[in-house]
Amino acid sequence: MNDPDFYQFSTLTVLLLLAAFYGGTYLLTLTIRKPQEDTDAYMVSNHRIGFGMGAASMTATWIWAASFYAAATSGYTYGVSGPLHYGLWGALMILFIYPFGRRFRKLAPNAHTLGELIHARHGASSQLILALSNILGSVISLMVNFTAAGALVAVLSPLSFQAGVIIAGVGVLGYTLWSGFRASVLTDFAQLVALMAIAIVIIPAVLFAMGGPGAMVAGLDNLTAEQSNLFSMTAILEQGAPFFVAVLAYAIGNQTISQRLFAVNENHIKPTFITATVGYGAIVIGLGMIGLMALTLGMEPMNGDMNNLIPQMVSSYLPPVFIGLFFILVIGSLSSTADSDLSALSAIMMADVYGKNIARGKADPKRMLLIGRLTMVVATMVGIVFASFSLDILVMLVFVGALWGAIVFPVIASCFWDRVTNAAFTTSVLVAMGLFCVARFELVPLAGTAGLFFEVLASIGGGIIIALMVFGFCGRRLGAIAGVLAGLAMLVFATGFLRDYTVLLASLTAYGASTLVCTLMSLASPQRFDFDSIRQRVGDYDDHQATDERPAPGGAAPAFAEQY
Amino acid sequence: MQTLIYGSYVLIWPALTLGVLALICRAVWRDMRAADADERDLV
Repeated sequence: MNDPDFYQFSTLTVLLLLAAFYGGTYLLTLTIRKPQEDTDAYMVSNHRIGFGMGAASMTATWIWAASFYAAATSGYTYGVSGPLHYGLWGALMILFIYPFGRRFRKLAPNAHTLGELIHARHGASSQLILALSNILGSVISLMVNFTAAGALVAVLSPLSFQAGVIIAGVGVLGYTLWSGFRASVLTDFAQLVALMAIAIVIIPAVLFAMGGPGAMVAGLDNLTAEQSNLFSMTAILEQGAPFFVAVLAYAIGNQTISQRLFAVNENHIKPTFITATVGYGAIVIGLGMIGLMALTLGMEPMNGDMNNLIPQMVSSYLPPVFIGLFFILVIGSLSSTADSDLSALSAIMMADVYGKNIARGKADPKRMLLIGRLTMVVATMVGIVFASFSLDILVMLVFVGALWGAIVFPVIASCFWDRVTNAAFTTSVLVAMGLFCVARFELVPLAGTAGLFFEVLASIGGGIIIALMVFGFCGRRLGAIAGVLAGLAMLVFATGFLRDYTVLLASLTAYGASTLVCTLMSLASPQRFDFDSIRQRVGDYDDHQATDERPAPGGAAPAFAEQY
Repeated sequence: MQTLIYGSYVLIWPALTLGVLALICRAVWRDMRAADADERDLV
């Protein structure tokens, strides 16, 4: 893995850099450590995290190591518009969830996971579908981040890939294990400051070291017509559209986001998420520009591996100190996401699995805390093992993406529409997954009637994505109008065309099928749900009455154990 | 002109990042003061 064309740190230098990073982060968490951690705070802090800490944590969590590599790859592959098509849609995932987040928070002010809310709304089966999708997503994320650490260490030092994976895993676990989510949020701020400061310096440094904007313009001849076009259709269809489809799915399917929605001061959700949107977009698109710079210079990625683009540019044009900064940039980004994944996984196991399905209303806070910490240890081991063996997770990724797409409408509808039933939720997700598989793996030839069937479903899916986005900001009527118009436009333009893009077709089919089944089954049901009952069913696990000054937004729910 | 456009297109992102960094640092400072005033933990 070592490549002599990259600048190489000595083993001692890399170990010192890693020790400084993880040691410093660990020492930082000692400032908030308590001998007896509070179970609820371990999952969502005090529900009163301020705007600054919340925005920093959301931004740092959403930026993972792959963000830089993929944005640079997008810039190198699609040219001028490439970084935008990666970073913009990733940023909008944060923006578009907050209107729904405010609704989640209003319904269940003391929740720790979105699964708890769905459990109170529907029961175990719907909740466990959501929890499963969250767990798979976080495990994949852990593995990808540890893999990035291994690859970085192996490329820039004589240390092995496995050594990098293990150091990152142990380092992240070390500072997150005791205080959980509180440690994650506190360290996110420090990591984000370092990350942003380095990005601010490194992007102009690379640009001017390669000869400035003039050299970039001089190299525009290296770009194809499509790569030079800011509105490139290739970039839109191959990079932008699949990301756009995933905007709501990633946000709904990710417990790291839900956890922050339930942890931030309720009055600060909007500014927190808007700031995180801008912060994420600026950093990721900016670093994606390094891929565009490499393209204008005619640089070939070493060994054909696009992940080498940024280290290659930094190595080629900047002195070693910048390579050290780049090293910290990547380690900081992957660690901030990995600690959030550990916190997310522990909260799911504590609240969704133990609290709701094993203890069933008689949860012991101390045992919950133990479960949370054990979850972190096991998850780290799984992440390290998966990353060390470089397991092929493509199939898992495909299914998780589909599952997230399939649950978007049922989850959101369940929080706004009192007719959605548990059967409608569960059946719609299962049907959507089945139809997704048929389209994605072309189990039937996507031609003739079958092709048309899936294109119609996908058009409904496209319509519902637009409808939900507009609904979140502009309300029901405008959402419905936008959805119908988008669906009709899709029917006109996608028919006979979308079947050639099976990834996009299958993703949209998951949305469309779950929406259709969930809506029809709900309309057929005479049941009506009282949303006020959710607040009564989702509460704290610790009893804060005697010692805590914690407010309960919208009225305190009594301790969970007293509820049942 | 093209040089200015491309230069701005690349450099606008670190400039935006700097703005967000300043905003977040200021907000965290206020969070710390508010937490002190209320005698509660920052996180």
